[in-house]
Amino acid sequence: MNKRAALLLAGAVVLSVVLQAAVLPVFFTPPFKPDLLLIIMVYLALHGSVENGAPLAWLLGLLKDVFSGLYLGLNSFTFLIIFIVIKGIANRVYAESSFLFVFTVAVATAAAITCNLLLLLMFTQTPGIIYSITSGFIPHLLTNAFAASLVALLPGFSRAQEVA
Amino acid sequence: MELLKKYGFFLLAGGVAFVALLFFTLNIPNNREANFIERGALMVFAPVMKPVARTSGFFEDVWDGYISLVNVRQENVKLRDEIKSLNARVVTGNEFQQANQRLTRLLDMKNAIEPPTLAASVVGEDVTSWFRTMIIDRGSASGIREGMAVVAADGVVGQIVKVAPSTARVLLLTDHASGIAATIERSRARGVVKGKDAGLCSMEFTTREEDVKVGDMLVTSGIGGVFIKGLPIGEVTMVKRGEYGIFQTITIRPSVNLDHLEEVLVVLRGGYE
Repeated sequence: MNKRAALLLAGAVVLSVVLQAAVLPVFFTPPFKPDLLLIIMVYLALHGSVENGAPLAWLLGLLKDVFSGLYLGLNSFTFLIIFIVIKGIANRVYAESSFLFVFTVAVATAAAITCNLLLLLMFTQTPGIIYSITSGFIPHLLTNAFAASLVALLPGFSRAQEVA
Repeated sequence: MELLKKYGFFLLAGGVAFVALLFFTLNIPNNREANFIERGALMVFAPVMKPVARTSGFFEDVWDGYISLVNVRQENVKLRDEIKSLNARVVTGNEFQQANQRLTRLLDMKNAIEPPTLAASVVGEDVTSWFRTMIIDRGSASGIREGMAVVAADGVVGQIVKVAPSTARVLLLTDHASGIAATIERSRARGVVKGKDAGLCSMEFTTREEDVKVGDMLVTSGIGGVFIKGLPIGEVTMVKRGEYGIFQTITIRPSVNLDHLEEVLVVLRGGYE
C-alpha cells in the first residue's frame, strides 16, 4: 500500500467513524444506520493484500468496538474472520465488479450479525439482544448494501482500486 | 395702394392682434363656462384622448417599471441577505430559547441532587444498531470515573462505562447489558430495570404478588449505590402475569427521551476505583 492509499484509507476511516457516531444517528433510526467500517473492510478484503488487510480489518473492528457496546474485541474478531473468508475466495472471482462488492457487503453484514450474535450469546449475559439484533437484521443488511452501492458509484472508486 | 402695400403686414398683424384681444376680453366674463369652440374641441378630442391616455399610461408604467427594475436586482439581493440574516437570528434565538428551557430543567435536576454533578453534552452515539451507548464530552480530566450515574432533566439516562481523558461513554438504561435497581413509586414494589428492544425497558425480578399497574411511575431504589434514591426512571406501559412463573412481565417506557438527548448530568459520586 502506497502513501496516498494509506492517507485515503485513514481519511475514509476517520470520516466513517465521525459519520456513524455523530452525524447519521441524528437522521436515521438504529436499523438504518449503515456500517461504513464494515464496507471499508470488505473493500480491503476484495482489493487489498492479506499482509496489510488482515491487521487493518482487525483494527477496523477494534475501532468499531471502541465506539459501540461494551465488548472490546467483538467486532475486531468478527471483522478478521470475515476478512479471511472473503480473501480466501477473492482471488477466484472478478473482484473489480461493483455488483460483487455490493453483494459481498450484504453477505458480510449477515455474517457479522450472525457472528456477533453467537459470540454475545456464548460469552455474555444479554439474552434479550437476540430480538434486537434479529429484528434489525433485514433493514441493516439492505442499508449496508445500499451504502455499498453508493460507494461503488463514487467517481474515484475504480481509480482507488488501482491505488489499493 | 402704395401705402397699403408698404404697411399692409403691420396693419394685418395689428388687426389680428386686436381681434385676438377682443376675443380674449369678450370671454373674460364667461371664463368659467365653455364656449362653442371649447366644447367643439373637447368633443372632437374626447374619443381619441381616452385610449391615448390609457396607452401612454401603460407606457409610463412600463418606463417607470423599467427605471425601477434597474436597481431591483441589487435591492433583491440585499433583501434576500437581510432575510437570511434575520432567519438565522430567529433560528439562533429559538435554539437559545430551547437550550435555555432544557438547561433550566437540567439545573432544577442538578439542584435536586445532593452530590456534586457535572454537566456534559452528548457528542456521539453508538455506531451499531443494537447496543445503546452514547459519548459525552467530559472524561477523566473532569473527574468522571466508570460506574458513575448519568441523569438528565427528566430522569435516569444510564451509567458511565468507558472513560477517556476528554470523553466518556454512557451505557444507556435501554441497553441489554444495563441493570438498575428500581422501585414502583406507588406500591414500593422492587425490581431491576433492564434494557429491552425498541427503546423500552423491562422490570425484572418483580414477583407476581407485587402490586404493579399500567401508568405507575418507576424510580431508582438506591440499592447498589450507583444511583441516588428517587430518580425517575420511567412509566409502566404493560403488565403481564402468566399462569405460571414467579415473576411478572413489566414493560417500561423511559422518562428521558434518549433519542433527542443533548445535555446530561454526571453524578460525581461512587464509580469504580
